[in-house]
Amino acid sequence: MRRIAGIVLAVLLIGGVVAAVVAGRDNEETGTATKTVRMVIGSEKAEFFADPDVVKALAAKGYTVEAETSGSWAMEGLDLKGYDLAFPSSRAPATELAARHEVRGALPRPFYSPLVVVARRGAATVLAGNGLATLDAKNRGTLKMAAYLDAAERDRTWQQLKGAGRYGELSGTLFISSTDPESSNSGALYLAAASYVAGGGKVVASDAEVERTAPLLRKLVSVQGAQQTGTDAVFRDFVSGAGNPLVLVYESQVAALLDEQPDAEDLVVLYPDTTVNSDHTVVPLTENGKGLAELLGSDPELRRLAVRHGFRPQGDAAEFAAAASDRTTYLKQRLTGVRQAPVPTAAVLHELARRAVGQGGQ
Amino acid sequence: MRRRAPGSLLVAAAAATLLAACTAAPEEDEDPDAAAPGTLRVLASSELSDMTPVLERVEKDTGVTVRPTYIGTLDAVDMLATGKTDGRYDAVWLSSNDYLRLRPDAEKKVVSQTPVMSSPVAIGVRSAVVEELGWKPEEVTWSRIEQAVRDGRLTYGMTDPARSNSGFSTLVSVASALSGAQSALTDADVTKAAPRLKEFFKGQKLTSGSSGWLAGAYNRRGDVDALLNYESVLKGFEGLTVIRPKDGVVTADYPLSSLASTDAATREDVRRVTEALRSDAVQRLITDRTLRRPVVASVPPAAGLDTGRRRELPFPGSRSVADGLLDSYENELRRPSRTVYVLDTSGSMEGGRLSRLKSALTGLTGDFRDREEVTLMPFGSDVKSVRTHVVDPADPRSGLEAIRKDTEALTAEGDTAIYTSLEKAYGHLGAGRDTFTSIVLMTDGENTAGAEAEDFDAFYAGLDRDRRATPVFPILFGDSDRAELEHIADLTGGRLFDARQGSLDGAFEEIRGYQ
Repeated sequence: MRRIAGIVLAVLLIGGVVAAVVAGRDNEETGTATKTVRMVIGSEKAEFFADPDVVKALAAKGYTVEAETSGSWAMEGLDLKGYDLAFPSSRAPATELAARHEVRGALPRPFYSPLVVVARRGAATVLAGNGLATLDAKNRGTLKMAAYLDAAERDRTWQQLKGAGRYGELSGTLFISSTDPESSNSGALYLAAASYVAGGGKVVASDAEVERTAPLLRKLVSVQGAQQTGTDAVFRDFVSGAGNPLVLVYESQVAALLDEQPDAEDLVVLYPDTTVNSDHTVVPLTENGKGLAELLGSDPELRRLAVRHGFRPQGDAAEFAAAASDRTTYLKQRLTGVRQAPVPTAAVLHELARRAVGQGGQ
Repeated sequence: MRRRAPGSLLVAAAAATLLAACTAAPEEDEDPDAAAPGTLRVLASSELSDMTPVLERVEKDTGVTVRPTYIGTLDAVDMLATGKTDGRYDAVWLSSNDYLRLRPDAEKKVVSQTPVMSSPVAIGVRSAVVEELGWKPEEVTWSRIEQAVRDGRLTYGMTDPARSNSGFSTLVSVASALSGAQSALTDADVTKAAPRLKEFFKGQKLTSGSSGWLAGAYNRRGDVDALLNYESVLKGFEGLTVIRPKDGVVTADYPLSSLASTDAATREDVRRVTEALRSDAVQRLITDRTLRRPVVASVPPAAGLDTGRRRELPFPGSRSVADGLLDSYENELRRPSRTVYVLDTSGSMEGGRLSRLKSALTGLTGDFRDREEVTLMPFGSDVKSVRTHVVDPADPRSGLEAIRKDTEALTAEGDTAIYTSLEKAYGHLGAGRDTFTSIVLMTDGENTAGAEAEDFDAFYAGLDRDRRATPVFPILFGDSDRAELEHIADLTGGRLFDARQGSLDGAFEEIRGYQ
C-alpha cells in the first residue's frame, strides 16, 4: 500500500496526464480504484491539501484531489459543474451553496478554527499598555473586543496610544485588517463578531438592528481601503513584513506557520475575547465528494494532519491540545474563556457586508 | 529574454535591460498564440520582465511554460472588465490587485489571487545628495522629502501613474503621506492635500511610461537627484541610497491570479505554478535575483533589504478616490507638458497614410491634459505651419477643438525635410519653462530635403544643457528608415516607437506616458 501511494505521489508531481496513465496501470495490478475528487476550497485550506503527507494519506484511501481556491462567498458565482465538492470556510456560505445545488442532508464539518488577530510584539505591547488587550504568554494574548470597537468608533490613532512612539510603523488609525466581507468568509465573520459585541451580546436579526450597527461596521471596513479577498493573501503580506500591524486570520494559518517555523520571532497571537469560529463545511456535490468529506472527519491520520495544519477537529479537543502543547507560547490549547459569537443568518450577514462595504455609496 | 507577443510596441533594445518594461496595450486585432497545453498565457505587469530566470526554474519544476504579455496595470484591469481577456489569457499577474479590486466588473473575472513576493515603494537618492542633505536613511519621512523638494535641494523622476503600476503606487504613497490621512484616502483628503502635492510634484523632472526608460534617462541626465519606484527596481542602481520613508509605504505583492473564463485544467496549472513560486528554493531565487521580498517566513529577504518595519499606507477603497487622484495628478498637480508634433505631410503621405495620421491625432485629443501645450508642426520640403494650442482648464474644449480643426486641414505635399523641421522644433520650444518638454517626430520616409543628419548632430551638440534635455520620440511609419530614426532617439535621449508593427494610434498613445 505504501508503495502504491509513493508511486501515485511521484507521478502527481510529474503531471496530471501521466498520473492518470500510471495510476491506471497500477490499478490493474492491485485492483484499487483511485477516485479523483475535484474541489473548490477556501484559500486557507490550500496548504493542507497540498501537503505531501495529506496527499499520501488520501491516496492510501484511494483518493486523488485537485483543489482550487476561491473566496467562500465567491463560490456562489462559480460554475461548479464537474466538481465533486465545495469546501468554504463556514456554515453560512455552505448552506447557501447546498440550497443552490440542491444538496440534501447534514453538511459535514470535519474541522474548525477560530478567528484570531496577529500582531508583532510592539503593537501587542502597546495595545496591552492601553487596556485594549492583555498578554497571557510571551507570544499570546487576548484582544478586548469592546474596548477595541470603542477605539474604532472614536477614530483612535496609534499616535494617541501610550508607548506607540517607540515603533515607527505604529501610526495612523488603529484598525484590524480583514478580507473583503462580501467575497470572503473571514471578513464576513469579523462583522458578525463586531456586530454581536456592539449589540451588547445579541446577534443581529432585525432590520432595525442592522440599521443600528451599520455605521460602525462601515467604519471598520472603510478605514481599511482596498481589501484582499482571501485570508491567505493578508497573512502572506503580514509574513513578508508588509501590511497593517493588526491582521485578522484563522488560527490554523498561524499554527501552520509555526509548524514550518517553530520560532516565529516576535509574532503575537491575540484571541479576541469574543470571536467566531469558522466551521469549515463541506458541500458534497457527488458521491465521491461525500466519501471524501466523511473520510476527512473520521480518518485518524487525516485528523492528525488537520491538527498539524492548525485546524481543530470536531468532537475531540484533546487532539489539538496535545499538538499545541509545544507551542503554547503562541496558541491556546483549549478555547476556554473565548466567547463564541453566534453568526447571523446568511441573509442578514450579506446585508451587513453590503452596508459595511458601502456599495453604491461612493 | 522570452519572446514577445506580436504587436507589442516595444523596441527590442529595451528588452535587453534588466529594468526593461513596456506598457503598450496589445492590439485589438492581435491574436496571441492560441491556447496550448502546458503553456500559460499571462497578462503581466511590465515590472515582471525581470522574472525570466525564475520562470525558467518554475518551468523546470512544473513543466508549465509561462508566456507573459506585458501591459500597464490600468490597461490590464480595463481588459478584464471589458471581457477582452476571455479566451485569450490564462492568468493575470499584476504588481498589485489593489486597483483591480476597485472595479467589480474586473474582479469578478478573477477566481484566486495568490501573492508571490513583495516590494514597497521607495525613494532612491544619489548617495552624495543624501550626504549633502544630512539625511539618516532610516529616519527619513515623506515630509522631509517634501521639505527638500520645496527648498530646491531635491529633484526626482517617476513613472506615469496612468500607465505604470509603480507610478500609481508612488502617487498613492505620496498623497496618503502628505495629506496626513490617518486611514484610507478619501476625496476630501485629496482635495485638502492638493496644494502640498502640487509643490511636491514641482520637483519631478522626469516622467516615463516605463521603469526601463526612466532608468536610462536618469543616467543620461545626470542632474536628477532621485527616483521614486519600487525598492526592487531602485536596488538595481549603483550609487543610489534606497530609502523606505519612515511614515509609510504602499507595497506591491504580485498576486498570480487565475481567471473564471478558463477551464479547470488551466487553473490547476496556475495553481501548480503558484505553488512552485512559493517553494523555499524559488522564493530564495526570487529575492536574490530580483531583490523583492519573500512571502514565506522560512526564507529571509536578500542581503541588503532592510527588515525594519514600515507602516503600510492603505490603498484607496473606492474607484472614485483612485480615479480622482489620478485625474488631479494629470490635470492639476504635475508640471504641465509642452510637446511639438513634427508631422510628415510630404507627398508620399497622400491617401490612406494621411487619413490614418488624422484619425490618430484626432483620437489623441481625448487624452490631452489640462494646461498642456500642443504644437502641430506639419512639414514637407520645409515646415509648413506652426500652430500652438493650450488646453485651458477653464475651457478645455476650445483648445482641443482647435487641434482637431488643424488636424483636419493637413494636406500631403512636398519632400521630406526631417532634420530642418526638428531644428525648428527645438527653436520653437526654447528653454527655461517649468514643463515636461518633448518632440514627437512622425515620418513615413527618409530625409530628402534640407539639413542632413550630420548637420542636425552638430546643431544638437551646440544646444545648451537645458535644451538638450528635450528628447525626440520618433515613430517608425510607412517607409521610414529605422536606423535614421533610432539615431535621432539615441542622440536626444528619446525612444523609438514602431507604428509598423503596431498601429499609429497605439504609438501616439504610448508616447503619452513620456510627455
